[in-house]
Amino acid sequence: MLSYNTKIAIKSLRRHPLLAAVIIAGIALGIWASTTFTTVRHMFARDPLPGRSERLYFIRMDNWDPARPYESNGASGLKIPPQLTYRDSMELIRSSIPVRQTAAFISNVVVFPDRRVSRPFASPARLCFSDFFPMFEVPFHYGHGWDKRADANAEQVAVIDDATNQKLFGGANSVGKHIRLGDRDFTIVGVLAPWRPFIRMYDMFGNFTAEPEPIYIPFNLTPKMQLRSFGNTDGWKSAGSTYEDFLASEVDFIQFWVELRTPADVAAYHRFLDDYVRQQKKSGRFQRPLLNDVRSLRDMITEYGIVRPQLTAMAVMSVLFLVICSMNLTGLLLGKFLARAPEVSVRRALGARRIDIFMQHVIECELVGIAGGVIGMLLSIGTLRFIGKLIANSVHFSLDLEMIGAAVFLSLIAGLLAGVYPAWRVCTVQPAVQLKG
Amino acid sequence: MLEMSGIRKVYRTDLVETHALEGLSLTVDDGEFVSVMGPSGSGKTTFLNIAGLLDVFDGGTYRLDGKDVSRLSDGEMSGIRNRNVGFIFQSFNLIPDLDVFDNVDVPLRYRGLPAAERKRRIEKAVGMIGLTSRLHHLPSQLSGGQQQRVAIARVLAAEPKLILADEPTGNLDSLMAREIMDLLDEINRQGTTIVMVTHSPECAARASREIHLLDGKVVDVERPPAIAEAR
Repeated sequence: MLSYNTKIAIKSLRRHPLLAAVIIAGIALGIWASTTFTTVRHMFARDPLPGRSERLYFIRMDNWDPARPYESNGASGLKIPPQLTYRDSMELIRSSIPVRQTAAFISNVVVFPDRRVSRPFASPARLCFSDFFPMFEVPFHYGHGWDKRADANAEQVAVIDDATNQKLFGGANSVGKHIRLGDRDFTIVGVLAPWRPFIRMYDMFGNFTAEPEPIYIPFNLTPKMQLRSFGNTDGWKSAGSTYEDFLASEVDFIQFWVELRTPADVAAYHRFLDDYVRQQKKSGRFQRPLLNDVRSLRDMITEYGIVRPQLTAMAVMSVLFLVICSMNLTGLLLGKFLARAPEVSVRRALGARRIDIFMQHVIECELVGIAGGVIGMLLSIGTLRFIGKLIANSVHFSLDLEMIGAAVFLSLIAGLLAGVYPAWRVCTVQPAVQLKG
Repeated sequence: MLEMSGIRKVYRTDLVETHALEGLSLTVDDGEFVSVMGPSGSGKTTFLNIAGLLDVFDGGTYRLDGKDVSRLSDGEMSGIRNRNVGFIFQSFNLIPDLDVFDNVDVPLRYRGLPAAERKRRIEKAVGMIGLTSRLHHLPSQLSGGQQQRVAIARVLAAEPKLILADEPTGNLDSLMAREIMDLLDEINRQGTTIVMVTHSPECAARASREIHLLDGKVVDVERPPAIAEAR
């Protein structure tokens, strides 16, 4: 009966194309709004590293001013600096508890390309450990990240992104070639595939929708190259006058991530941090009450309010808008269906049950819902591209499979909402009244 | 085939109660061709609607093909209408969007017959009424007489035991009316019971028995002389 009812529904829609178009447009409008705003929220809320984000932990320690607590900017209200000092990072990295770990910060380097290719230019660069690449599932086009030996020896190796490789090497495999950063030559060991995570999950403290850095070099080059942070830097105490003073200071500028496999590892790592801080207290540091935080990437996204309440409110409002659109169409469908009462009566006389008539009309509503849904989704794709450009150039908002599924579901619900009452009314028509005459 | 005893039907509005049938009792045997006559408001159509399970009644008993149909669910009544009862209406009641084939197909669809069986029945029924060449014409492309023949084909394809015809020639000229009555005669000769409401004495005379209704009751039953003699 499904194919038969679908055939009847299509005939019915063709009979009054203008009315059908108005009803479809109503649902399309609702689906457009609801899909667009729920997708924007979904893009921010979705897990940036499915299957891994529960194992990646962000490390924080309270090395702040004993006289006053750190001013929190996280949703948890935890008064703790979000980043670590260089000296603490270098101590923590010795731990053998995590399966992977990286300290990282963003700096700036001057790139000196072949004169025939380009003039020198300044570029953001991330200093990190080799584990950074597998921890954040960074995709490679050519080569790979550097190894532990390069970490330990502070070798002059680099990973460049696809755009930089296009610019400097015309997109060819540049692994093994050299790139001059500042006054040093670096050997390229890896070229990234085009990579644009929706949020920069490894560094959420500035513009979390910013693009990843074009160049990556080993963290242990920091003292050799005397690089300073170009990202967020927090401090409560003079950093001294020399670079060595800076590295030994209480200035927080390093994000520290560990990968822990089990809750026991998390507890062990927490104990490790507490022991470390207690040790430091003896030498006069960490004078505030003991406060260390080991928080998963997933929880960090929540804490830092990546999903803004306004986004949730907009998403809820847009779904309500769809409901209102659907309810408004109920009247049109009621008129359309009741005008068909004589035909329904004939069908009833010939053996159709009430449920047959109900299903016939519900299927017509669902066809309208799906047609409106498809148009709404197409409109939504265009709008999302526009919003992407408004929020952050190069962020790509798109409907993923989950959202397409949600939009189809919403379309079916919208069709049902609009049509269930008219379908019920028409199936309760008394055939005897209609058939005479 | 049809046994009604003391059937009562009251239509109620806020202001008035209308007693459409008041204790109607009637029996129609298998294979009979019965005409029902009476003035407007005598309850002919109400009787036909109740007989075809299109309407419910307020009192009395009704057995259709030996089964008490007083308290059936919507699904059960629909099933009986689909398998046992065929309707022919004065205004043909074809579905305007469907061509002849699809109109005849409607009751077969609700019976859930396989496609090949439906096709066989439709082609046979449309062949019997002589409209094979019009199989894919819409009702609007047919004359009144042709539309009524399609309505009859729709009944024939469903192969019911009982046909209820409500003034089947009421909208036709005399020539076409005669053709339709010939068709009904032929169907009845093949064993199908027919109950026909009509205002036309000529049509009523084609039946084996005439029943007269007045004020919701059977007031007279007569057998047309020619038929009576022949039987």
